[in-house]
Amino acid sequence: MNEHIRDEERLRQMLDDAVSDVEPRHTLREIRDRTATRSRHGWMWVAGAAAVATAATVTAVVVFGGGPGTTGAQRPGFADGSPTDRATSEQPVTRSAGLPVYYVGDTGRGPRLFREFFSPIDRVGTTEAEFAVSVAVSESPADPDYRTDWPALTFANVEIDGDMLTVSFGGDPESNLRERALGMSPAEARLAVQQLVYTAQAAVDEPAPVRFLLFGETTDRLLGIPIAETRSADDPSEVLAQVWIDKPAEGQIVQREFEVSGLANAFEATVQWELMQGAEVVKRGFTTAEECCTMAPYSFMVTAPPGDYTLVVHDSDPSGGEGFPPWEDTKQITVE
Amino acid sequence: MPVSEGWSADTAVEEMYAAHYRSLVRLSVLLVRDVETAEEVVQDAFVAMHGRWRRLREPDKALAYLRQCVVNRSRSVLRHRGVRARHVPAPPLEGPGSDADVMAAERRTHVLDALRELPERQREVLVLRYYLDLTEARIAETLGISRGAVKSHASRGAARLRELLEDVHE
Repeated sequence: MNEHIRDEERLRQMLDDAVSDVEPRHTLREIRDRTATRSRHGWMWVAGAAAVATAATVTAVVVFGGGPGTTGAQRPGFADGSPTDRATSEQPVTRSAGLPVYYVGDTGRGPRLFREFFSPIDRVGTTEAEFAVSVAVSESPADPDYRTDWPALTFANVEIDGDMLTVSFGGDPESNLRERALGMSPAEARLAVQQLVYTAQAAVDEPAPVRFLLFGETTDRLLGIPIAETRSADDPSEVLAQVWIDKPAEGQIVQREFEVSGLANAFEATVQWELMQGAEVVKRGFTTAEECCTMAPYSFMVTAPPGDYTLVVHDSDPSGGEGFPPWEDTKQITVE
Repeated sequence: MPVSEGWSADTAVEEMYAAHYRSLVRLSVLLVRDVETAEEVVQDAFVAMHGRWRRLREPDKALAYLRQCVVNRSRSVLRHRGVRARHVPAPPLEGPGSDADVMAAERRTHVLDALRELPERQREVLVLRYYLDLTEARIAETLGISRGAVKSHASRGAARLRELLEDVHE
């Protein structure tokens, strides 16, 4: 219909004209400054202590800086080097150091969930749940051992309705979110869904049921997993990595005496740790988590000379090397 | 699109900035009205794209990502910063303004204000359809809604916008 087409043309012109006088005032420089904070402070470590012959060949430059700049703001404000400036009266599950976002990492028992933390200043203009879920799906974590398995252009919005969380997906036409991507295992698919369940529930601090929509409609499948019903968090012992370092964060600069804390479900509640440079153990120790047989808090102090280190926290291996590898988490840090 | 093999994230930002920054800011202005806010939204989107470049790797994916970011952040900012004054006065014209200039400025104000009165989804769909000229399928993907919903929001939105603007129709 000619009139219809004319109307459409008119709409186009109207919208075009409405912003034709808008000239941006901010420059590329400002964007560059924000991203430079990330890349200058990025970690250039060759993965795996065993790959580095001596400490002298470590060329990594690690300075704590902004995380995956969703809003360009900083990670929890530890850049001033005072790791204890956050309240540490944590409940075992969340909120010890900010808003947790869950990611997938490989362990000796297959992929499991780890988490990173965001501070309130990162979240201008969004709810915590929206922020956390969209970051979990679309942002690369700071820790290079973690990842998100959702396809590159996936977007997730979250709505809270009474006590139900609804996660709505949109995304890249080339990735079909109903089916599992090539190369993704069923375990990874299940974890990708649990990654969002855990993230959304942590953000609202409630084990609220989560339902998923694809392009605004209920779907029977997501990543090959039947998903028509709401999801709750799967058993933490099956889904979470059983040792987490919550503090310090990846890439953090700490003072010579610094606190390490996190959660662990460790054999006999015993948590062991090493501070390494390359293949060399500079410091080691152990501590006891608050209780056994469930993810429970641990913390300990470390004193070390200035330098770049890998902090490794793990549980002991009761099988004497014959069973599964121990649970572990690692962080690259700098002592100044 | 320029050849992008081996672009670093920094290069991607530069190239995408040169090609698309202004139009993305204009896109956001249509959604959030305020230019300063729109620039913040678009800057955030570029920073996010930088972080994501490793997984995007191509300019057309990066552009789709930027657009999604801009639309999503514009929506969030509106929801959570509250509504600005209904009638934002047009900025004063510099220099001797002709009658035509004054009318043009008023017309722009009216259109932007009217857009702000539409329900969120209708505004988003109209802007993606008539400012960016995206296909229905692409709009559905960008917003995470069904194509049927896109059609419905587009037709209702267009009707409502026409109603709101009857006095400035040419």
